[in-house]
Amino acid sequence: LVADDEETVTAILTIALETSGLEVEVAHSGPDAYERGRDGQFDIIVLDQLMPGMLGIEIIQKWRADGVDTPVIMVSGVDDDRVVIHSLELGVLDFVRKPFRITELTARILRSFQTPEDNRPALVPKTNQ
Amino acid sequence: MQGAVFVSVAAVFVIDVVLMVSILTWKPIHRRRAASLQVRRDTYIAILSRYLAASPRGKHSVPAGPSHRLEPITERMAADQAFLDAIIDLRNIVTGPEVEVLGVIATRFGLVERQTKALQRRYPIGRRLRASVALAEMGDESSAQTLLTYLDDREPEIRIQCARGLGRMNYLAAIEPITARFDKEDPWVSARFADTLVGFGSDATAPLLAYVRANHASEDTDGVVQALTVLGTIGDHYSGPALTSILEDAQDIEVKLAAVHALGRIGVPLVLGSLLDVFDSEDWRLRAKTATALGDIGDQTVIPDLSNRLGDSNWWVRRNTAAALARIPGGTDALYEALDSNDKFARDAAAEALFDAGGVGKAIRHEALGTASQADLRLLGHMRDEALTA
Repeated sequence: LVADDEETVTAILTIALETSGLEVEVAHSGPDAYERGRDGQFDIIVLDQLMPGMLGIEIIQKWRADGVDTPVIMVSGVDDDRVVIHSLELGVLDFVRKPFRITELTARILRSFQTPEDNRPALVPKTNQ
Repeated sequence: MQGAVFVSVAAVFVIDVVLMVSILTWKPIHRRRAASLQVRRDTYIAILSRYLAASPRGKHSVPAGPSHRLEPITERMAADQAFLDAIIDLRNIVTGPEVEVLGVIATRFGLVERQTKALQRRYPIGRRLRASVALAEMGDESSAQTLLTYLDDREPEIRIQCARGLGRMNYLAAIEPITARFDKEDPWVSARFADTLVGFGSDATAPLLAYVRANHASEDTDGVVQALTVLGTIGDHYSGPALTSILEDAQDIEVKLAAVHALGRIGVPLVLGSLLDVFDSEDWRLRAKTATALGDIGDQTVIPDLSNRLGDSNWWVRRNTAAALARIPGGTDALYEALDSNDKFARDAAAEALFDAGGVGKAIRHEALGTASQADLRLLGHMRDEALTA
């Protein structure tokens, strides 16, 4: 799941991830992202911190309270160390500042599919159907 | 007479109808055009995103032509306003080698040249302004000379965009020309230029100091004050000694105030001596500004100097001094001590600063819990005495 209110960001990430063989769904608001992610169906979620309706950190807190432990990569254009620290305390996998390198962010997402025993990326995401 | 009235009413009616029809026709056309622009922009973003994904090593890996995975970019696409919008949107999201890839595509299809030509025309102004914004957003170094030339364009917004573009590409040669325009611009443009110069960081320190040194004795010091404000915001320690000598040499009060403000923002203890000299100035504005600067620096060694100023003859100096003490570690002790002063001015200033710092609320809570300290009781006593007097 790629959740960002900037459509350009979701478009560019969708293309980059689909090119790498992943299936992608998008959300453009905080509540939408929360609803889509609350059943834990995604392998990984790329979550923007500043979205209308709900902040990224709030969404993670609610997911964790619901028992959803899907790995999250937080993306933010706000350069605030408190947000970084708080996100990491909530157990996010990675924190990426905007502007970002698409290839680098894609690589980080793909790395999350690696298992400790096997360093090769396992490009077989769970199906969302 | 009646005929003339009838003709006037009929003319007004016809004009109203024509206007109404124009608005009703224009609105859907405009909406459709905006929707179409959005669709084309999204399409171009998708196409360009594939180029970015296919060029992991930056400008050297941009595919020269169409491949099985990439849709070719045509001249017709590149001439579309929506294509330029897509490049600019992506340029604001990606970084590093991916910006280079967008730069290669923009250069290959002559986007920079096209916008440069539009800027070079005399009219229409709206088109010229859009071109300056596009060049600023793209931040392509090939447009640097054009942007430098149009820093003195007749349109203020174009000058602002040119400076912004040069800042975005971190074009260091632009620092001096932008600084030199400070005394020629109105405050709004100057402030926008200042924002751009702050973005250059410490690279702008030496040119800004040179400008201040050369111009601080001139009649119109607005530009110098703006430059000093920028130096303070940049906060480069290197500028401390130079600023202290400017503070000593300057005759103009506005320049001195701006220098004091900048020294406070730079925050180097090395400049404390110069600031303490100014703290004895006969001009209350300088004393007040210096108090704030000392608070900004936050060095504990100045607590006695600040405490002595709590009884200053000027209310603004007392207020700033007390506020400065409240920000320095250990300074609140001096404020509590000042509550026992014989000087009513000092007592009031200290109590106000402690109130602003949340001391009264804390003291009331402590008193309610039975844990109030001597300092808490002293502050509450002062506040109650004042309330009774009032």
